[in-house]
Amino acid sequence: MITIENVSKQVENKWLLNNVSFKVDEGACIGLIGPNGAGKSTLMKLLSGLEEPTSGTVKVLGKEAGKWSVKKLAQKVSVLTQDGLAPYPMTVYDAVLMGRYPHLSFFQKEGKEDYKRVENVLSLTGLESFRDQMLDTLSGGERQRVAIAKAMVQEPKVLLLDEPTSYLDIGYQVNVLNLVKEWQRRDQLTVLMVLHDLNLAAQYCDQLILLNNGEVIKQGTSEDIIEAETLQTVYQATPEIIRHPKSNIPQILL
Amino acid sequence: MNNRLILSITIPVLMITLLFVMSLAITVGAANINWQTVWQIVIYELPYIHQWIDSSWSDSTETIVLDIRMPRVILAAIVGAALALAGAIYQGVLRNPLADPFILGVSSGASFGAALVFAFGLQVVWLGKFTLPVVAFMFGFGTLMVVYFLARIGQKVRMETIILAGVVVQAFIGACLSLVMALANEQLQTIVFWMMGSLTLTDWSYNQIVLPIILICALIALFYSRELNMLGLGEEVAHHSGVSVERTRFYLLILASIMTGAAVSVSGAIGFVGLVVPHIIRLIVGADYRLILPLSIFGGAIFLVGADTLARVLMAPRELPLGIITAFLGAPFFAYLLRRTKREYF
Repeated sequence: MITIENVSKQVENKWLLNNVSFKVDEGACIGLIGPNGAGKSTLMKLLSGLEEPTSGTVKVLGKEAGKWSVKKLAQKVSVLTQDGLAPYPMTVYDAVLMGRYPHLSFFQKEGKEDYKRVENVLSLTGLESFRDQMLDTLSGGERQRVAIAKAMVQEPKVLLLDEPTSYLDIGYQVNVLNLVKEWQRRDQLTVLMVLHDLNLAAQYCDQLILLNNGEVIKQGTSEDIIEAETLQTVYQATPEIIRHPKSNIPQILL
Repeated sequence: MNNRLILSITIPVLMITLLFVMSLAITVGAANINWQTVWQIVIYELPYIHQWIDSSWSDSTETIVLDIRMPRVILAAIVGAALALAGAIYQGVLRNPLADPFILGVSSGASFGAALVFAFGLQVVWLGKFTLPVVAFMFGFGTLMVVYFLARIGQKVRMETIILAGVVVQAFIGACLSLVMALANEQLQTIVFWMMGSLTLTDWSYNQIVLPIILICALIALFYSRELNMLGLGEEVAHHSGVSVERTRFYLLILASIMTGAAVSVSGAIGFVGLVVPHIIRLIVGADYRLILPLSIFGGAIFLVGADTLARVLMAPRELPLGIITAFLGAPFFAYLLRRTKREYF
C-alpha cells in the first residue's frame, strides 16, 4: 500500500528526513512516534502529496504520491490533521458531503448515491443529531468527529492521521481513535497515524515506527518499542514501563 | 432549508425586483415617462408581439427609452453584478472579509491607464472610442499579473503575501497616477470624475462588448462555488479533499479580475458594491458560496441600478458621481446589519 524508499527531505540546509525506508501493508494500522522535530509530520506531508521528497521515492498504491493528480490521490487517501476542519459557518451535513468531492467531475452535482453514503456515515459516527448544526458552534472534539465522517465519505484505501487527538480531552481521544479503529477493521483500511501519546499508540496500533532526527530508529510491535532503554535514548526521559491490567499492553508512567 | 429551495425562492424574487428597479430607473429623469409606456416600448421591440401593441408614443420618447436610458440601466446592472460577484470571489479566495474587487490593484491599474488616455489624449485609431475601456482593462489586468507574480514564491502564493503585494503595487501606481494628474491640468476634472465612477458615457456598443465577457466569466465562476466552500474549511483540508488549491485560486482570481477590469473599464472605479453586497448576502443566507455567488449577481445589479438612478435624479439636472452614492447608501446599511447581527459570520 505504502512504500517509502530511501527518502530524504531537506529544507534550507536542514535535513528533516534522512534515508527513511519502510513499508505499510494493506489493512495494517501503523503508528509513527518520536519526539518533536523527528520528521513525522514531514513524512505525512510527503505521503499526502503536499510536498516532494528531496531524494528517494514515496509510493502510495504503487505510484509516487507527487505523480497522482490531487483529485485522484484524494480518491485513495484521506488525511486527518490535528487542526481538523476550520470553524467555518457551514452545516455538519454539508461538510461531510464534501468528502464526495474527489469522486465527482467539475460539472457534476452530488447525486442520490452520494447523499445515501453521507446518511450512512452520519449514523456510523453518531452525528445524526448534529447534521444541521454549524461547524463554528461545535467543540474541537465534535469537529474532529465531523472530519472523520468526511474522511469516511471519501471512501479511501489509506487513512493518514497527523496527531488527530492532540487538542482533545481523554474522552474524545478514545472516541476518535475508536471510530478510526472500527472503520479500519470494517473496511480493511490501511492506517498510518502520527501520535504523541505513546500509551494510545501502543493500544491502537499493530506496529510502531520510532523516528528521531529524521531517521527510523526502530520498527516493531509495542513490545519492541515501548521499553525503557529505547525511549530513554530517544526522548531523554526515564519513563516507568508497566503492563495494562486488562490488555497486558506495555504502557508508560512518567 | 436546503439550497435548492432557497434559490428557487430567492432568484425569482430578486429577478422581479431587478426588473422592477430597472423599469423604475427608465421612467425617471428629465423627461418623465410612465412605466406602462416604458414596457410597451420594450415589448414592442420583441419579434411577433409588436402587432398587438398600439404604438402611440412619440419618437423622442422611444429614443429616450431605447437609446439613452435602457443601455445605461442595463450597463449599471451588468457592472453591479460583475463587481458584487468579483467581490464575493475575492473574499472567498483570499479568506479576508475586507477584500473587494479592487484589493489587488485592478482598479488602480485601470485608473492609471484611463488617466494616461485622458491626460495625453491618447487615441488608438483602430480602437476608436473603445481606446479608453481597452487601455483601462489592459492596465488593470496587467497590474493583477504583477501583483500575482510578485507574491509567488516557488510554486506557491500565500494569501497574506498577495494582499501585501497588492498594497505595495497600489501605492506605486497611486504615485504614478498622482504624477499624471499633476501634469494633466485641464483634464484633471475628467480624470477625477472618472475615478469616482460614472455611467454617463453609455450606448449599446459598451453593453455588447462587456456583457459577453462578464457573462462567460460569471458562468464559469458559478461552477467554482463548491471549491470556494472547501477553501473555507482550510487550505490543507481542501487539498486533502482533492482540490488543486493553487490552480483553483489562480483561475478564480483571473475570472474575478477580468470581470472587475471589464466593469471598471466602462464605468470607472465604483467602490463599495463589491465589498458590501456579498457581505449583505452572507449575513442573510450564511457562508455557503453556492448561495452567495448567484445571489450576489442579482444583489449587485439591483444595488447599482438603484444607486445610478439616485445619482441621476438627486441633484438633477446635475449628475452625481456614482461612487459617492454607493458609499452613502452602502456604508450605513452595512453598519446597521453589522450591529444587528450578533453572530460571527465570516
